[in-house]
Amino acid sequence: MIALEGVAATKGRFALRDVTFALRDGCFGVVIGPAGSGKTTLLEVVAGLLAPSAGRVTIAGADARGRPPEARDVGLVYQHAFLFPHLSVRDNVAYGAGDPAALEEATARMGVTALLDREVRGLSGGERQLVALARALARRPRLLLLDEPFSALDPRRRALIRREVRAMHREWGLTTLQVTHDFAEAGMLGDQAILLDAGRVLQSGPPAEVFRRPASPYVAEFLGAENVLGGTARDLGEAAPDWIDGAPSEYARGHRAFAFETEGLTLYAVGDFAPGAGHAVIRAEEITIARDQTHDSARNRFAGRVTELATLGALTRVTVEVRGVPLVAALTTRSAQELGLAPGIAVVASFKAMAVHLC
Amino acid sequence: MSRALPRLLSVLAALAGSLLLLFLAAPLVELVGTSGGEGLRRLGSDAELRGSLALTALCATAATLAGVLCGTPLAYLLARRDFPGRAVLSAVLDLPLLIPHPVAGIALLLLLGRESAIGGTALAVGLRIVGSPIGIIAAMLFVSAPLFVSGAREAFAKVDPRYEGVARTLGDSPWRAFHRVTLPLAGRGLLASAVVMWARAVSEFGAIVILTYNPKVVSVLSYDRFTSHGLGEALPVAAALALLALVPLTLLRALRTDVRGER
Repeated sequence: MIALEGVAATKGRFALRDVTFALRDGCFGVVIGPAGSGKTTLLEVVAGLLAPSAGRVTIAGADARGRPPEARDVGLVYQHAFLFPHLSVRDNVAYGAGDPAALEEATARMGVTALLDREVRGLSGGERQLVALARALARRPRLLLLDEPFSALDPRRRALIRREVRAMHREWGLTTLQVTHDFAEAGMLGDQAILLDAGRVLQSGPPAEVFRRPASPYVAEFLGAENVLGGTARDLGEAAPDWIDGAPSEYARGHRAFAFETEGLTLYAVGDFAPGAGHAVIRAEEITIARDQTHDSARNRFAGRVTELATLGALTRVTVEVRGVPLVAALTTRSAQELGLAPGIAVVASFKAMAVHLC
Repeated sequence: MSRALPRLLSVLAALAGSLLLLFLAAPLVELVGTSGGEGLRRLGSDAELRGSLALTALCATAATLAGVLCGTPLAYLLARRDFPGRAVLSAVLDLPLLIPHPVAGIALLLLLGRESAIGGTALAVGLRIVGSPIGIIAAMLFVSAPLFVSGAREAFAKVDPRYEGVARTLGDSPWRAFHRVTLPLAGRGLLASAVVMWARAVSEFGAIVILTYNPKVVSVLSYDRFTSHGLGEALPVAAALALLALVPLTLLRALRTDVRGER
């Protein structure tokens, strides 16, 4: 397990403050944060390349203080690869490799066998990232630290390599910590998401939980929640069973029902929120759109007009204005076409109380 | 009007640059052009000139080796570490470049002369500094080592420390990462800095003439012949010295390729 307790560190203009989280052995942790949030600095602290000015880093149960990077059994891949330009690809991959079988496997699985006799200077950005991954994996470390390692790969190769890295992580029992600013990647790879901003951990937990239950409106917006509304929540008492029907129970902690007043709308929500001022978060994919009133189990149902349609391939984002409040829903493009949606059309937007997260 | 002014400024800038270039190159071209051949011919007949050239090259090489050995760790430290007093240390290293070289010679004489603690002790064990090749090497080292340290520091600074970081995670100790990664990546810059140091050492006069007039290095021999025999005798020696300085210059040009590290 790796654990950070109250870690502070500074590198140039990047600073970590009071960073605390733990990642169990064999887990895939994903650090998400905007540019400049200290993600790379965090990896360097774990790798032992940067000494924390406060706090404690524990690796495999032992305090890592004073343990140099070469004794931490880590593999580190930077976004810019940092292949040694004076060595060939083969020499780069073999640089720290101990076991020839691991070297061969890492090379083959990262798809760089054909590049082995090339010079580093002739490689593309994507090829460099693959070689850097192979170099780190060839050492077969216990802890793999990845700093946006797929950013230069084309989408097809990215999906392939992401899958391969996840498979190697599982098969080799690696503990992996990857930095990304892409939450979708975090959801696909991670067992644990760690949200970092301005050097602080905002939230940490399973990606699905972080995604559905952001700790703050800032986290919600950072994770791409389209509907974040400010208002006041009123406790309505224990939620009736039909309010929580069909929803995963872990997201309905406390099972309290709330009425959330926002800009003239009353939303109904279920959760464990302390009544008072707060924010309601509704993900676009939780909102369904119909041309007429429907009779489903949704607690929240609002008549409004379509103001905007944005088609992104198979998905269409529909903005519906309800009494001056814009609600964004995500539909399949086919559904949007079947409904005959267009700006100005009257529709009904509905969503369940369970889909409203209060924070 | 609006187009004519920038053109006029460009022509004036080009003219100013050309004039400076001409001013810098003309004396050397004139010297080597008129006396370079004679200087080379004299190498066959003038044993003192031959000996002086060899002494100059050897002493400059020894000073450069000492500068590289002692200056490399210092340059690495200045490029990589942030520590209290770094600015002061940098300023101290620049001092020899800022003071007149005869003043440097006088300061060295005070430190290494036979009346001084170091010079007296050395003499007691049979090691003469002033008036010997050791004095020449000391003077050369003093005036030219800062050039090496400055160039080497820049060469190290160009190598992204993350290369070393990656090497450390791949199992290297700090020294091994330096040896396997940083040194090869900064190598060309270090070599170029050493060549500049050597060239500066070869052409030093002011500090050497105070510390060690005899045996004569080429710059001192040129001065000696000028004062004793006039311009005619000094010219071939001066031309030979200029040619000797051209060797490192040519080498430096050959090395001036992209030394930036690659990501």
